[in-house]
Parts: sequence; C-alpha cells; structure tokens
Amino acid sequence: MHPAVYKVGLQYLSGDIWGGNARCIAMFQAFKEAIKDYSTPPEKTLIRDLTARISSYVSFLIECRPLSNSMGNAIKFLKNRIAKLPLVLSESEAKATLMSDVDRFINEKIIIAEKVIVKHAVTKIRDGDVLLTYGASSVVEMILLHAHELGKQFRVVVVDSRPKLEGQLLLRRLVRKGLSCTYTHVNAVSCIMQEVTRVFLGASSVLSNGTVYSRVGTACVAMVAHAFRVPVLVCCEAYKFHERVQLDSICFNELGNPEAISKVHGREDINYLDGFVNQEKLQLLNLVYDATPSDYISMIITDYGMIPPTSVPVIVREYRREHLWS
Amino acid sequence: MGAQKKSATPRVSEDPEDLARNPLQAILLADSFATTFRPITLERPKVLLPLVNIPMIDYTLAWLESAGVEEVFVFCCAHSKQVIDYLESSQWSSKPNFIVTTIESHNSISAGDALRLIYERNVIHGDFVLISGDTVSNMLLTEALQEHRERKKKDANAIMTMVVKQSKPSPITQQSRLGTDELFMAINPVTKQLLCYEDKAEYSKGFISLDKTLIADNPSIILHNDKQDCYIDICSQEVLSLFTDNFDYQHLRRHFVKGLLVDDIMGYKIFTHEIHSSYAARIDNFRSYDTISKDIIQRWTYPFVPDILSGSTAIKVERQGTYRASDVTVSRSADIGSFTFIGQGTKIGNDTKISHSVVGEGCTIGSNVTIEGCYIWNNVTIEDGCQLRHAIVCDGVIMKSGAVLQPGVILSFKVVVGQQFVVPAYSKVSLLQQPTHLDSDEELEYADNTSGTGEPGYKLNGDITPDLSETAYELGAGGVGYIWSVFEGVQDEEWRQSVAPIPTDKLIKLMLEKDEDDEQLTQDGNVFSASGELKADSDDNGSGDDDNEDSGDDYVFFEKEVEATFLRAVNENVKVDHAVLEVNALRLSYNMASVDCAGAIFYSMMKLAVESPHNSASELHKNAADIITKWQKLLKSFLHDIDEEIEVVLKFEEMCLESAREFAALFPQILHLLYDKEILQEDAILKWADEKEGADAADKVFLKHSEKFIQWLKEAEEEDEDE
Repeated sequence: MHPAVYKVGLQYLSGDIWGGNARCIAMFQAFKEAIKDYSTPPEKTLIRDLTARISSYVSFLIECRPLSNSMGNAIKFLKNRIAKLPLVLSESEAKATLMSDVDRFINEKIIIAEKVIVKHAVTKIRDGDVLLTYGASSVVEMILLHAHELGKQFRVVVVDSRPKLEGQLLLRRLVRKGLSCTYTHVNAVSCIMQEVTRVFLGASSVLSNGTVYSRVGTACVAMVAHAFRVPVLVCCEAYKFHERVQLDSICFNELGNPEAISKVHGREDINYLDGFVNQEKLQLLNLVYDATPSDYISMIITDYGMIPPTSVPVIVREYRREHLWS
Repeated sequence: MGAQKKSATPRVSEDPEDLARNPLQAILLADSFATTFRPITLERPKVLLPLVNIPMIDYTLAWLESAGVEEVFVFCCAHSKQVIDYLESSQWSSKPNFIVTTIESHNSISAGDALRLIYERNVIHGDFVLISGDTVSNMLLTEALQEHRERKKKDANAIMTMVVKQSKPSPITQQSRLGTDELFMAINPVTKQLLCYEDKAEYSKGFISLDKTLIADNPSIILHNDKQDCYIDICSQEVLSLFTDNFDYQHLRRHFVKGLLVDDIMGYKIFTHEIHSSYAARIDNFRSYDTISKDIIQRWTYPFVPDILSGSTAIKVERQGTYRASDVTVSRSADIGSFTFIGQGTKIGNDTKISHSVVGEGCTIGSNVTIEGCYIWNNVTIEDGCQLRHAIVCDGVIMKSGAVLQPGVILSFKVVVGQQFVVPAYSKVSLLQQPTHLDSDEELEYADNTSGTGEPGYKLNGDITPDLSETAYELGAGGVGYIWSVFEGVQDEEWRQSVAPIPTDKLIKLMLEKDEDDEQLTQDGNVFSASGELKADSDDNGSGDDDNEDSGDDYVFFEKEVEATFLRAVNENVKVDHAVLEVNALRLSYNMASVDCAGAIFYSMMKLAVESPHNSASELHKNAADIITKWQKLLKSFLHDIDEEIEVVLKFEEMCLESAREFAALFPQILHLLYDKEILQEDAILKWADEKEGADAADKVFLKHSEKFIQWLKEAEEEDEDE
C-alpha cells in the first residue's frame, strides 16, 4: 500500500476530506504519488500490473468509505488511460503520460468545469433575488461569491440539517465575504421558501434518468421548491454524470454513523435514546445521500452548458465517447 | 412565578425556617447615575427612553415579573415625577401578584445613596434582585436564586451572586459588542467565587495585578476577559447594610464589588452565575442601545419582543424581521428592508428606503428619504430627500427637506434641522444648552446628576422654550437647537460608544497601532497574552516573560546573599534564631521557596568548610562536621519535608561535581554525618537513591560511592520492619 493512498484513505475515514470534488482530487493526487513511485516488477508489464495496483488501492479506499459515482468515473478514466498506453513507451514515459493525464483530469474536469459552471450560473442571478442553497456545495459557494463580486444585489438563505451541519461552514464563509444571509434548518424550509426566488443545489452525481443523487435532504428541498413554483437549479460537473438509473434512495446509498442521529451535539439533556440503540426493534437510519427525481429539477448547470434533466443521457453519452472510448 | 411557588411548597415541610419566607423582592434603580445618554436624559429619564418603541423599564419589569419577583421597589431620582407618572398610568400599577412601589429621592447622587435610602426605609426582608431599569433579559432566575440560597445557607458570607454571560471583546478595540470596556474577572472555576473584578483593566499598562494570596488560597483560578457583566445581582440583605456601613460606597461595581473583594476582614464573598442560552444585557451607552435594539428585533430576547410586549397595539412580525403596526401607511414604492420596526400611525412616502431601523409612532416620513440603522422615536417629521444614517432621533424632531444626518448623530427632543443642513458625524444636538459645568470627568458623574435632579420640575412642563438666541441657528435655515461641543480628547473616542458602527478606517488604524504595540511589547519582552498572564505582585520590573529568565539569576543572587548572611553569622557569632530570621527575610524578598533556602544554606556551609584551612581530606571532613554540628539548627529550620532534604543531597552532589571537588571523596562520609545529625532522614536518602537509579552512569558516580551506606540504610530499615 502506498503511504499517500493510505493517508487519503484514513482522511476519508475520519471525515477530514469530504465533498465530491475534494475527495476526488485527493484520491487522484494520491494516485499520482503512487504512480510516481511505481516501478514495474520484473517479468510483469506496466499496463497490467499498474491496473491491478490501482484496483487494490481502490478497494482499500472503498473500505474506508464507499466511493461516490464521480470517483468511480474518475477511476474508470484512469484505468482506461493505463489500458490505452502505447506499448512502445518506456516505463518513465508511461508514468509521465499518466501523471499528466491525472493533472489534466483534475484541471479540466473539476477546476475549469467549476469555473464554467459559475459563469453560466451567474447569468441566472438577478438583482433582488433570494437564493436558497442546501448544505455546503463548493460550486454553489463559488457561484454566490462570484455574483457578489459582480455587485449583484441578492440575499442567500442557507438551509442546513443535522447531523453534519455543513451549512454552517458555508454560512461562515459567505458572511465573512459580506453577503447577507439567512440560516435555517431544513425543518423550516417550507416556511422560508415563500420568499425564495431561486434554489441552487449541488450534487454528488447526476444519473442518466435525470435523477440527482445528492446530500440527504436535497430531495426534500427540491420538492418544496417545486411546490412553491421556485426554479431549482442543480450545479454539477459533467464528470459526475453517471449512466446508472436509480429510482429511489434506498437501493443504493451510503449509511452514516447511526450514533450521529441519536445524539444531539451540545445538548446532553437529550438522551432519550441512551441505552436504546441496540434494541432489536429499533433501526437508526442515517442515510448520507438521497435521490431527487428529475420532475423537481428545472435545470442542470454543467460545464457543457445549462441543460434540462431529460438531456442528461446525451451528456453521459458524449462524455463517454470523449473520454472513455477515445 | 408559578415555578417559584411550586418549589416553595415542598420545601416548607423540610425546612421550617422557610416557612416565614418572604416573597422575592427586587430593587430597580430607575436612574443610571451616569451621563452617557446626555443630552437626551436632560429631558427624560433614561429608563423611559424607548427601546424598539417600548420604554426600557417595561422590559426590565416584564422580565422581573416573569422571573417570579413579587415586589419591586422602583427607585426614582432624576425626573422622578416622570417615572412615577408613567408607572401609575401603565399596566404595572394594576398587576395582581406583582407590586410595583416607587421610592422617590431628590438628593441621591449614586446607586450607593439609593441603597442607603432603601435600607433606611426597611422594606427589604430577604434576598432581593438588584437591577437597574435599563436591563433587558430573559434569563430564568430560579436556578441562580437556588444556587444563591444554598450557598448562603452553607456560608453566611456569600452575600451576592452576579450574573455573567459569555461575550468576547473585539481584539481590535478591546471592547465588547455592547461598547463596554474589556472586563477582567478572576473566578474560581469550582466554587464560582469572584476573586477579582477589573473593568478597563489598565490595559494600557499591559498587565493586571492579582493579590498573591488569591493564588495561594485557591487551587485554581480562571482569569476571564470574555465575560460580560449583566448587572443583574442577587443580593442578600447584608448588601444594604454594607452600603450603610460604608457611606463612601457610591458605584455598585467600582466601589462596592471591589471594596468587598479587597476587604478580607469581613470575609464577604461574591459569586457568579453564568448564563449560556438566555439573554441579559444592560444599556450602558449608545452602542449598547444599538446592539440591544438589534438583538430585540432579532428576537434573542424572546419573549420580550415588541409584538408580545406591546399589548394594546397590534404589531405584526413579517418576513426578514420586519415589525409593522396595524395602521401604518406605506407608499407602494417605499422599500422597507430587513430588521425594521415601523410604529403605529406612521406615514412613509414614495421611494423611501428604510433598513435596520426603528421608526416610532406617529412619524411622517416624506419621499426619497434614506434611513439606515437609525432609531427614530415618536412624532418625528422627516421631509423629502433627507438622509439619515446610524442616528438617534428623539420625539418631536423636525428634519426639513434635504437635511442629512451623518453617522452617530444624536438629535434630542424637538430639535429642528434646517433645509439641506448636514449635521456632522457624532454631534449631539439639543434645545438645551450644554451645561457648562459638565466636566466629562468620570469621577464627577455622580455630582453631575445633582443638576439633573434639581431641574426636573421645570423640565416636566414640557413647554419650556429655552431662549433660542442667535446661536440656536447652528442647524441651518429654520433650524432650532444647539450642537453640543465635544470635549477635547473625548472627541477621538466618540466613535467607541456611538450608535454608528465603528468606521473601518478607525479599525484599520487601531489594528495597525495594535500590531505596532505588539511588536514593541515583544521587543521589550513585555507582552502579555490576552488571556492574562499572572504576575506575582512581589518583585521587580518584570513581566511574565523575563520573570522566567531571571528566576535563574535571582537564585544566584539569592544564594550569594544567603552565603553572605551565613558567613556574617559565623564570624559575628549571631544566634541561630536570628540567622533563621534573616534567611527567612531573604527568602521572602527574593520570592523563593524554603527548598531554595535549604539548598543555599547547605551550599554556604560546605563552601565555608572547603575554604577554611585544611591539609588533608580528614581535616576537611572534620571542618565540615564541625560546621554542620554547629549550624544544623539553621539548616533544619528549612527542612520541613522530604523534598527539601532531597534538595540538600542534590545540592551536595552538584557541589562535589562543580565547585568543591574536594568533597567528592568524602561524599559518603558526609552523607552519613548528615544522617547521624538527623538532618537527613533515611527516607530522603533512599528516595534520592531511587531517583538516581534511573540516571545515566555519569550521574551515578556518587550513588556508587555511597552504595555501602545506602545498603546499610536499607538493611536497617528492613530490620526495623522485622522487629
């Protein structure tokens, strides 16, 4: 096991690195290190051995925390690159090519993609808007900050939920930059939605039937927004698109620590579930993601432009053609 | 209140003393005995100033009522008639379980005087809550009260419980959100006893001094600079009599609290009760007026918020914290922004923008007016095109069209601002001329109030038209009022406690200054961390930093002094008792422990032995033995416990290695001698041996030398046990 991969795995495990893009970048940086230090053992070929090596790393990372769809795509990309390496290349040349491929992926598919999304999304913010966001999405944060820099007059409503309360981090950064914000929890979303004019959401993955797979609670926010006739804009980089189809959140999900929802941080007096956790008839369900059906999504903003959720299969197809089969 | 009664009933049975328990009483001081709110307070008492359109005293009384207080004595001083009239006409005069009694005085000039007067009236029969009429809170008293009573039962000297709340002062301005100066409190974290209270803690000097006995008496002390004094005190009856006994106590904190903390003869103690989730704050200055108004609008003080408190007039809370009375006329094009209060009967014209402000009742606001962060009281007329930023505008003010208020302006009652006139930032404008004797000297703030109390009758008439001579036209064409001049020196500080937010350029300036200060301080080795490093109040020049450095030097000096003393004692045949006394004096003046003394004395003795003439090792041994025999009493008087004895052995070892190598060979003999003379006990020697056991070979030289002796000691011990 390469130490860089090991470190990233532990960081996933402890929750130090979270968020789709951050996890993906961390993973790729670790793989880059691993490739740099890699030397083909005697009597083996680089292409086969490195692929096996990467697979073992990936299975280690999965043990630490299940992969997200976006990471799956990224790994697929890397493996494809390895497989497509021309046989004539020397080991050092092959490694250099792979490392530059990894860098290019991070740069093009994540960093530039985010910038492009911001550029598109900012056009949807008008003066006097009240923008609602849920959780803490890095792209949405960039959009809000950029719009603020452009001098647009708008307010932000940050909706958050237990147990992670990531929204507070986002809120902190926004307020520090001088945006006027309202903070509330998801319980109050139907109350606050009346004054909202746009909903901006991040996504962990967009599936080919247009379903948005995202932080648990997103579906609820999108549905409330839909009921209030507020447009829901999902911001998602194209590398997170996935050809899978999923109809509900239970069939494929990640389970969080059940302890996290049975306890309230900072409120020792709420201990009704103490000693109750192991009861046979009790299930504490702490889902990490949920699936938002495409009906509730007005538009998906991606690096290929702004598309309706019905057009996701096109992006998936084109993306695959461009990166996986080329 | 219900909770109070409930908790009282079961206790009656278990504690017969409580049978005669009195209803909870409160003393509410309806006078701040300060001048921070001038010129407004020249015409109206501070407690009647509207805070989000409701007089401050209503917040305080409503809280007292909800907290289970049954009888309140409102002490009125300045403008007492106004307060009494208000209370009589208000709802408070007719509450069934909540009796509000007013006590009027015209010659009290401080809180101290007020409490003395109340003591004379003999109306307080038990524990009471001491609060001033400008405090807003929603805390539950029961817990604090319970704590106070239990403490009192255990310790009759625990006479006061002070309510404190977390509040981090800004590192740049050294003041809290409420505009009060940084407050330093030393609190015992276990008992919550208040040990030191220092507002404006001579920060400029960079240190605060704590009495050394505090550190000696308390196993742990936490020094806070992140607590805010809520000025809510739960007091026992003794507090009143204390004020009477000490007729010079004026200020509640500056004199009374500090006086109690310093006075260790009576041994009275003050404790603190920290609140976490509830709200409590006192309006001390214009900045806290601004902050607390915002807190009320943002509902931190729930249930004491305008829509609940203002019983008769219906006020609706709308989105984004906008409060609107029922019959407000607002033009469609007007923009009422977030966190704004609009009172009853107010008319707002076209294209007017209002945000983060309070607009009282019956105001008329024209078109194209911009109001931001202002507190506009009742019946104010603002004509078209005015601009107001972060100002307080009192009742009956008229602003002619196009007038501008810059941040921090205070317009007192019925001032008229002329057309297009720009009132400069931080100016205070009143119809009354500035009292000439107002010295702005803080020490005189009690005395100042005599003027306030002397005049109320004349002010109450309301229709006073002060002779508006030519100078009254300081406010432009058609303007009426005097702009009060700002005192020299105060001017720079005006922004600190103003309603206006601190201007960014000031912040930047302060930040730069602070950086410079820090640099300078670090260079001087004089910097104190904000958490407050403790400084023992004994010695020299020092700050904490160089204390550490020169503690080594100190010891060298100390050792020399002790040696000199010892030699003098030997040469002049001073009695042992006297020598002990002298060494003790040295110990105190150098702030050393008796361990150090023992080490130093032993060092001097051995040094003397080495320096006295000798030819052989045996003679040296004899010298040493003589000296030790002669002066063993001196040494013994500093050997209180085993640690000090070990120190002697260590010192000896050190000497053998460094300054007096001749002893090296004699180490075991002298050790034995010390043992024989009962200067060292076997425990100490064995412990030393144990400690050295783990050391590296070089350190073990002497251990090896004295192996036999130690072996012998161990065997002796075993034999003892056998017997």
